[in-house]
Amino acid sequence: MTQDAIVAARSISRSFFSNRVLNDVSITLRAGTIHALLGENGAGKSTLIGILSGALAPDAGDIDIDGVRHAAVRPAIARAAGIAVVQQELSLTSQLSIAENVGMGALPRRLGLIDYSALMRRAHEVCALVGLEQDLARPVGDLPLGQQQLVEIAKALFRKPRVLILDEPTSSLSAHEAANLMAVLRRLRDAGTAVLYISHRLNEVLALCEWVTVLKDGVVTADRSLGGVDAQGLVRLMVGREPGDLFPRWTPSAEPAPIIAVEGLSAGMVRDVAMTIRRGEVLGVGGLVGQGQEDLLLGLYGAIPAVAGRAEFNGVVGLPRSVPQANARGLAYVPADRKREGLHLIHSIAWNLMIPSFGRAPSLAMRRTASERERAIALADRLGIKGDLTREVQALSGGNQQKVALAKWLPSDPPVLLLNDPTRGVDVDTKREIYALLRRFAAEGRAVVLLSSDTPELVNLCDRVAVMRAGRLVRVLERTELSEEAIVSAAMESAVPGAAA
Amino acid sequence: MTTSTSLLYWRIQNVRNRGLWWLFAVVAAFIALYVYLFPGLLSTGGISKFSQNWFPLALVSMAQAVLMLAGGISLSIGATVSLGGVIAATLLAGPLGVAGGSAVVLLVGAATGLASGWIVVRLGLPAIVVTLAASFIIAGWALLIMPRPGGAVPAWFSDLLAGNTPVALGLLVLVVLLWKLYLATPLGLSLYAAGENPVGAYRSGAPVDLSRIAAYGLSGLLCAAAGLFVAAQTGAGDPVIGNAFTLNSIAAAVLGGVGFLGGRGTMRGALAGSLLLSIMISVMFFLGLPPVAQYVAQGLIIVVAVALPEIAAMRRPRT
Repeated sequence: MTQDAIVAARSISRSFFSNRVLNDVSITLRAGTIHALLGENGAGKSTLIGILSGALAPDAGDIDIDGVRHAAVRPAIARAAGIAVVQQELSLTSQLSIAENVGMGALPRRLGLIDYSALMRRAHEVCALVGLEQDLARPVGDLPLGQQQLVEIAKALFRKPRVLILDEPTSSLSAHEAANLMAVLRRLRDAGTAVLYISHRLNEVLALCEWVTVLKDGVVTADRSLGGVDAQGLVRLMVGREPGDLFPRWTPSAEPAPIIAVEGLSAGMVRDVAMTIRRGEVLGVGGLVGQGQEDLLLGLYGAIPAVAGRAEFNGVVGLPRSVPQANARGLAYVPADRKREGLHLIHSIAWNLMIPSFGRAPSLAMRRTASERERAIALADRLGIKGDLTREVQALSGGNQQKVALAKWLPSDPPVLLLNDPTRGVDVDTKREIYALLRRFAAEGRAVVLLSSDTPELVNLCDRVAVMRAGRLVRVLERTELSEEAIVSAAMESAVPGAAA
Repeated sequence: MTTSTSLLYWRIQNVRNRGLWWLFAVVAAFIALYVYLFPGLLSTGGISKFSQNWFPLALVSMAQAVLMLAGGISLSIGATVSLGGVIAATLLAGPLGVAGGSAVVLLVGAATGLASGWIVVRLGLPAIVVTLAASFIIAGWALLIMPRPGGAVPAWFSDLLAGNTPVALGLLVLVVLLWKLYLATPLGLSLYAAGENPVGAYRSGAPVDLSRIAAYGLSGLLCAAAGLFVAAQTGAGDPVIGNAFTLNSIAAAVLGGVGFLGGRGTMRGALAGSLLLSIMISVMFFLGLPPVAQYVAQGLIIVVAVALPEIAAMRRPRT
């Protein structure tokens, strides 16, 4: 390979329980290059990162680091070679300060004790670099999720990496923070760092990366320069065929009758919101990350304390006071954090699909397993959940987990669906299925409220989009005025840079 | 910049008092009440006697808190205190002398802790099960050494630790300073990361397993030290004297805001909790409450103390 290759993995294979996840995969990370690693969920990206960073050993193949051949990289070797990984799951300790978290595992020491002044100096440098303007003595647990992710990135930079691997680093960053991160990565590239960048946001990849490796089902389907490739082309590389339209054709619904109307709604961050939700529409809720969108959904759902000047839900006056009350009025909520809030990971798919039904069954009646099984099969069929329904949910890919989280509400036939970022971390194929499903729900006369951090999704899928900023509903865009520019400008309007988070 | 640099450590320390002010206030109120009921507390003798009553509970509360911070818990605290006590009463008056005997006591304590810790961490077994088993083994060992109370501790040693001088208070200050020093090492600080987010800490390169095993060793060491002190205080060894310490240590740590899930809480909180527990018992005694009512009151105070922060958090608007 070329001289500037820092890490070169050749013919890597790895199986889990006879399931081959990587098959003869080669990838070369070069100094001064931002390299994209793309692939649908389950394509083997996480496994490949694990092998490059020493968390996993390959079954076959070898890895050259700075020209030295290793059959497997141990974590200590990876660290010594300057390979740092920003994982999707945070590695932070909420009670420790920002500075201590940034240094954890590589704390500067003097006479065996932590050298707090050196720690402060160096942590300050990297935090300033990623645009985190916070008192470094603050416990990380106090920060909103987006800023915790910045701490995670600062922590990787603290080790002065020569190879920086980032797994979906922007998933909870605001547009401003993400743009800042892009600038930092470009600066690192210019200083000679090799960056491996994993993201489901194709626009970011196109704007940032020079080289792309595409994984599909554990095999490299493309390893090429990104010059002259557009988003459509990237999707083609990932799915290995013509993507068709990602979004279903939009047809206006016949029955735009209001089903929920609130005025003066305040809940959590939400202040004084007036809005109407109609049957037969997909109402998008957008804005920068953390402007109160989630609290709006939770407030409507009775899951957090809320007050409203006037409220009418499906013909009933007043806000629902609890989740069962909201369910009784026909509301269903699908949380963003499906692993913690939406699903019971260690239980079977069928069991998960049946949970909301348990709430409506007479408490002491025996469960009828035969009819449960039939209903579970019918639901799985309707949402295209493949495979054995007795498997644990945690064995499924992210996209299929999301489908289970959605499907479990359908038996109660809820007229209002509140969805919190249902396509986050979901592969393109599943996204398309979910989009088609949402439009179908709307066509059936349901109201779908779609909170999303993905602007193209809002533009292409929704009938109207409510844009929130600092807890207030600043704009409701009608279908005719919907565009990415319109949403972003409404979200950013008069927002002070830096205060956006 | 330079001033904020050198002050980072102290600002972090200050932030960690957050959420504990109410506890400090309650402790201060109880101290004031105690002084009002028993003005003799403010003499050298009063302070000496009070700190001698508090000292062993303070040590075992630290022993429990260090494990809870590491994401574990110990049910063998009381048994280790008893074992430390009987070994002290056997050896201190013997040929090893006070220094040699004390060293053996502390080594045995640390070794029992390290053994439990090794099993919990390396074999991945639940701490509650391993330390429950350990408590039976250690309690049995103590009974084998000394089937009934007996043995002896040199009188000068008892007078030094449990006489009319506040030596115990000085020792406690020393232990706390040593703990601060430990927490200022990378190994010590890793305890928080290993307790709250072991996977993340491992990926960061923090010594997760080592810091957790070390926590068990420290815990055993502190328990044995408490046993040594109790033996000096009573002048003899008693194979079951430590039993009450197991649950009291959990109560003190919980009062002090140390969480069960690991990585949450502070040692200063656990110490304040043990102080509150200790004063509470004295104050209720002075108020003439019958012993049964003392237990009920103690339980109520623990529930209220644990519930208060939760209630406060519920009333605070979400951000």
